[in-house]
Amino acid sequence: MGDVSQLNEYEYIEGKERKSLLSKSLRPFALIFSSRTATVGFAIVSFWIIVSVFAPFLTPYSPTYQDWKAPNQGPSWNHPLGTDELGRDLWARLIYGARIVLVIFPVSSGLWLPGGTALWGVAMALLVGSTLGLISGYKGGWIDEIVMRLLDAMISIPVILLYLLLVAALGASAVNVVIAIAIVGAPGIARLVRGLTLDIKTRDYIRAAETRGESSLYIMFVEILPNTKGPIIIDAMLRVGYAVFAMGTLGFLGLGLPPPSPDWGSMVAKGREFILAGAPWAALWPSVAIASLVVGLNLLADGLREELTRYQ
Amino acid sequence: MNIKNSKVLQVENLSVSYKTRKGWIQAVQNVSFDLSYGETLGIVGESGCGKSTVAFAIVNFLGPNGKVTSGSIKFEGKELVGLSRRELNRLRGNRISMVYQDPMAALNPILRIGDQLMEVLTYHRNFSKREAYEHCIDMLKRVHMPDPEAVMKRYPHQLSGGQQQRVVIAMAMLNNPALLIMDEPTTALDVTVEAAVLDLVEELKSEFGTSIIFITHNLGVVARVSDSICVMYAGEIVERGHVGQIFENPAHPYTRGLLRCVPLLGTSKSSTVLRPIRGRVPPPERRLPSMCIFADRCGHRENQCVDKKPNLREIDPGHEVRCFKGERFLYISLRDRRSAQKVRRIGSSTCAEKEKPLLDIRKLRVYYTQKMRIGVKHIVRAVDNVSVQVNPGCTLGIVGESGCGKSTLLKAIIGLEKVRDGKIFFQDKELDTLVVHRPLDIIKEIQMVFQNPDSTLNPAYPVGKQIERPLKRFKTVPRKRVREEALRLLRAVRLGQDYYHRYPRQLSGGEKQRVGIARALASRPSLILCDEPVSALDVSVQAAVLNLLMEIQNKFGTTFVFIAHDLSVVRYISDYVAVMYLGQIMEAGPTQRIYEPPYHPYTEALLSAVPIPDPDISQRRIRLEGNVPSAMNPPSGCRFHTRCPRRHLLPDGGKICQEKAPEEHVIDKNHTIYCHLPIETLLELDPVVEMKTS
Amino acid sequence: MGWFILRRLVLLLVTMVIVSVGVFIITEASPGNVARNLLGSFVTPEQEASFLNQLGLDEPLWKRYLYWLAGTDWIASKRIGLPLERLTTERGFTEWWAKLPSGDLIRWQLKGEDLVAVIKHQDGRIEEKLDNRRWRKGGGGREFFWGVDLHNRAVLWQKGLSKKQWVYVHGKGWVEAAGGATDYIPLKKGFLRGDPGISLRTGRPVAKSLFVRLRNSLVLASISFVIVMPIALALGIVAGLTAERPIDRALSIVGMAFSVIPEFAMGIFLILIFALWLRWLPGASVFGNHAPWERPDMLILPVLTLSLIELGYVLRITRASMVEVMRSPYIRTAYLKGLPHHVVVFKHALRNALIAPITVIMLHVNWLLGGVVIVEVVFGYSGLGKYLLDSAMYKDINALEAGAMIMVVVAVGTQLVADIAYTFLNPRIRFK
Repeated sequence: MGDVSQLNEYEYIEGKERKSLLSKSLRPFALIFSSRTATVGFAIVSFWIIVSVFAPFLTPYSPTYQDWKAPNQGPSWNHPLGTDELGRDLWARLIYGARIVLVIFPVSSGLWLPGGTALWGVAMALLVGSTLGLISGYKGGWIDEIVMRLLDAMISIPVILLYLLLVAALGASAVNVVIAIAIVGAPGIARLVRGLTLDIKTRDYIRAAETRGESSLYIMFVEILPNTKGPIIIDAMLRVGYAVFAMGTLGFLGLGLPPPSPDWGSMVAKGREFILAGAPWAALWPSVAIASLVVGLNLLADGLREELTRYQ
Repeated sequence: MNIKNSKVLQVENLSVSYKTRKGWIQAVQNVSFDLSYGETLGIVGESGCGKSTVAFAIVNFLGPNGKVTSGSIKFEGKELVGLSRRELNRLRGNRISMVYQDPMAALNPILRIGDQLMEVLTYHRNFSKREAYEHCIDMLKRVHMPDPEAVMKRYPHQLSGGQQQRVVIAMAMLNNPALLIMDEPTTALDVTVEAAVLDLVEELKSEFGTSIIFITHNLGVVARVSDSICVMYAGEIVERGHVGQIFENPAHPYTRGLLRCVPLLGTSKSSTVLRPIRGRVPPPERRLPSMCIFADRCGHRENQCVDKKPNLREIDPGHEVRCFKGERFLYISLRDRRSAQKVRRIGSSTCAEKEKPLLDIRKLRVYYTQKMRIGVKHIVRAVDNVSVQVNPGCTLGIVGESGCGKSTLLKAIIGLEKVRDGKIFFQDKELDTLVVHRPLDIIKEIQMVFQNPDSTLNPAYPVGKQIERPLKRFKTVPRKRVREEALRLLRAVRLGQDYYHRYPRQLSGGEKQRVGIARALASRPSLILCDEPVSALDVSVQAAVLNLLMEIQNKFGTTFVFIAHDLSVVRYISDYVAVMYLGQIMEAGPTQRIYEPPYHPYTEALLSAVPIPDPDISQRRIRLEGNVPSAMNPPSGCRFHTRCPRRHLLPDGGKICQEKAPEEHVIDKNHTIYCHLPIETLLELDPVVEMKTS
Repeated sequence: MGWFILRRLVLLLVTMVIVSVGVFIITEASPGNVARNLLGSFVTPEQEASFLNQLGLDEPLWKRYLYWLAGTDWIASKRIGLPLERLTTERGFTEWWAKLPSGDLIRWQLKGEDLVAVIKHQDGRIEEKLDNRRWRKGGGGREFFWGVDLHNRAVLWQKGLSKKQWVYVHGKGWVEAAGGATDYIPLKKGFLRGDPGISLRTGRPVAKSLFVRLRNSLVLASISFVIVMPIALALGIVAGLTAERPIDRALSIVGMAFSVIPEFAMGIFLILIFALWLRWLPGASVFGNHAPWERPDMLILPVLTLSLIELGYVLRITRASMVEVMRSPYIRTAYLKGLPHHVVVFKHALRNALIAPITVIMLHVNWLLGGVVIVEVVFGYSGLGKYLLDSAMYKDINALEAGAMIMVVVAVGTQLVADIAYTFLNPRIRFK
């Protein structure tokens, strides 16, 4: 077994440490694939991301092109998923709809931002929520009391009411959907971050920073925030799922993107009217799309969380 | 069970594995031992060595991820491995019972104590409710639980930690088991409570004749309760023998190393140097089956240690060791080595007597309010009228049980807690503001080393960055030289340059603590406050950190305020000691004087409670009654009067203690005692700790 | 405990204030108004102004909020100089009258230049007579009069200034009429005194339509709650006890899918399966004037949709809680005491495991309300949710406010119940 005189305490780590950047960036994938649940979720989510990114190459139709001669058709060679009441191709509308959710954020008719509407909503919620949670948790005292009571009040307002008010009042547009998602999501994130902050606040390294006379801002954003990363990422994933859910619901209530945008929720709402008339496809496909994407995101998040906590 | 066997338990070649993400990992290998009726076996070892795994393997409760991979466990002649659930249930709680570390977590929060106790009897012995109730009351009385009837009706959270542990022990003893397994039963408790629980264990042992497996990391505790001892290291038993054999003539280098790491109550830094064991316990995946498990940390390693694995073999009747060279160590007494250590001292003391104090605390009061609910606040008098001084280059040790206010005192000095009344002078300047309002040149002079190695460093940043932050903030060195200085500091705490890029999670507890010290040193402070810096570390690592602190003091003349609950550690490192109880100082003075009469009655009780890992030392038995009162509503007069065992020496049972706070008695040379008992009486008391004369 | 409840009650009040103010402000801030929504977009500016004036919607926001909250009768009564009284007629209509010192009731209408009083005597006899002596001299020489008109409004008439106004006539809708006044205060007692006002959209009292809608929604929600709870808790516990095994895997994944699929998608799936494909059940729940329980077949699909979603949620929460409890040291103690499995589960684990879900589930009622709204829309079920959605779309402020307040009370009220249940189940709080 050779000579181990060189073997010392440092060496245990030595081997593992110098990992290449490649293997470092592959680590999350290794984690995903070690859980069957997460793998399935990942596959579903990837499917939607891919079809929405490559939407223009995956269908010859535009999502708003109307074929008057072929309304409310079932799946056929020309229209793989059928058409809606105006003869628009459902597959095209579906994948362009996914684009709005996951890939682009139509701020106004002229301005499109990268990153889907759902992602922007979650990002805004994260920004507002984690700032509030950090301040509330770290500062404590009356600031905490006020912020928390306000959030309590916010949380006890029925979500649907908030949606109705916000979007009915502000009108239907992607920006308003983002605002609605952010307002509904922020209190939950704030509570999560506050909880994490309260825990991290008791750690000795925070004490060490305080004894160096560091400012509150430094402690909150440099010492505490980076350590809330893990739980926040998992939570954000679930929230993206929820944001997709919310977008669908808003669209269904007629509060989503204005027509003729290919909005999944409003596609269902429109298609619903023709179900009992014997044309279920226009309502079915977008329902399947939303359900699968939301379930996929949740599978991914659940699988990851389980994998991270399994062997503790 | 007619097979009359002289052994309660026989464990043979037990191996246990756990499933992890990396696959199955062996936590315990080839463990063999047996236990006679009425015997107490101590299993001792550092964290991660597999002690608890052995205990849970015996009761067959390894969880979904663990399993016994080989070996046998025979209880009263009957094989336990592979037993059905029904058969196991008949044994558990009946013939074999268990007590574990955290009694609060071990009790069901929503069931009354009575229900939890009685069900043991109703299920195993078909007792009627009435019978069970009476039996439980009886058992609670036997574990010296005050007011057992009331306790039966309470919920766990309504009891103190010591009381909860008594309940758990009573629960375990209800069916008069043949085997009682105790897994770190006193680790979460204060010394005085711990001493009382250990007394109880001894009492139950003699009364019931139960065989006990006592698992602990504390060598002192194991020395006090055990008949024989197994020393475990990295999942294996490395040495086994009678308690006398292990402590008098330890034959395995690891056992010897452990014993040399622990400061004994009678040792101070001027008389001894602690010898830490280098390296750390190898993680399970690093344990090579073909070589001595301790080889990479052993100072006596030879080629054969690496080439093959030593077996556990008997080198003396009843004394087994897993080392090729066991016999050679056998008769080199550790005691001789201890005295030989006197020769090698770390420099000379930097503590000079007559200088002006660096830190002068006068009548300090720190109160804080605890909000119970809206509108109702309680004032906690965490520090109440404390005066103490530290000279430059000296170490002031502060000891006391949890809740005595020692941490709050440190927080007040460093400016994390508001001072209610009194003054703190540092370098003749008054510190009267919170740290955020202090000028940088004061802040950099006082730094702190923290208790918990796992939380002392921010897990989000590499080590280097964390040392550089104070360097930049206090501009200790010009910006260009920051990195260089950080590397120098790492070297100063005996860590290599390559630690610069590592993240805290890649470091062991001791290494993290070193980085914490380096960070504190970065601003070149003249005062470092140490908040129990070694209490969360394994003994072998503890010694290294203590040595490092002393080295730093010698090199830079740094002043320390060192708080700890371990009296041996405090004695070892301090020049002066203050003993605190419920926010007040009971006794303060030069270290040597604190540990010998005249004592304050509280100091006396503390010294009596400390478990000492040396069978040659005897302690007089003084036990405190009751619990530490709440600091929200401290007792009148002398705060210690409710528990004082010496109060009766005063006329009319110490009525004065209840009415009046004691004046300070200056005995001599800074040695002060706050007690109503006259010095003459205190002087008459015998020393608590004595060397047995052989 | 008492503090706990008090705190919740304060929270309830705060939330109600925030929401009610919020509704006013948001409705105000948004483009369009109820006039356009109701009268169509071809309405002339005069028509719109007249309409808003009659409904008191031209007042400043704070005043409208105050009127909504505390009512208008006390202000109107001061202007008129007589106390006002609200009556409910035998046919169920609400009428406002001024009360003469004699005890007789009076209101007025303007016919040309003449003020005609309608007097209701105490014996029920109704008499009409000219009442021109009530004209008072105002600044600028014009005579004016504050009185109660026949449409439950306090009105300011000015002599010789008969404006055109738009009046709502049952069956005909909004028609142009003469006899208009310069100022209107619609009479109401205000929300605080139990009068949420008149729906601007339908002209009927909000309280009345809301009652029926609320009843319908409660039927829907409570049937599904009663079905779901025992099943979901039991399945959750089973999943928790068999953690990581196939039963648990299946239950967890199905539960998760049910809980995250949007209600409308779930509704569509169920309609497709049961109404279109199997043809077992009707695909919509249109009762007309019947109560929901008179057509149980129409109730099945909405209840099922809501139930599946709740089932998934409660199952997940219960499972998580059960898993955590089963891993806790005190369960280990119980096993090591040698207690049989069922005793450990039922005596030691179950109650601990139910503490967390009960609070979480109650908090979830908030979301359930959203689910109810969607399900109602999917199936055309005439419940509170649909009422609220329609009110929001029309900016029917009184209806919106009342619906919102009910939702808040339900949401916060269940939290209160949750708190009480929590303290009851958890001795650590009970015996502090």
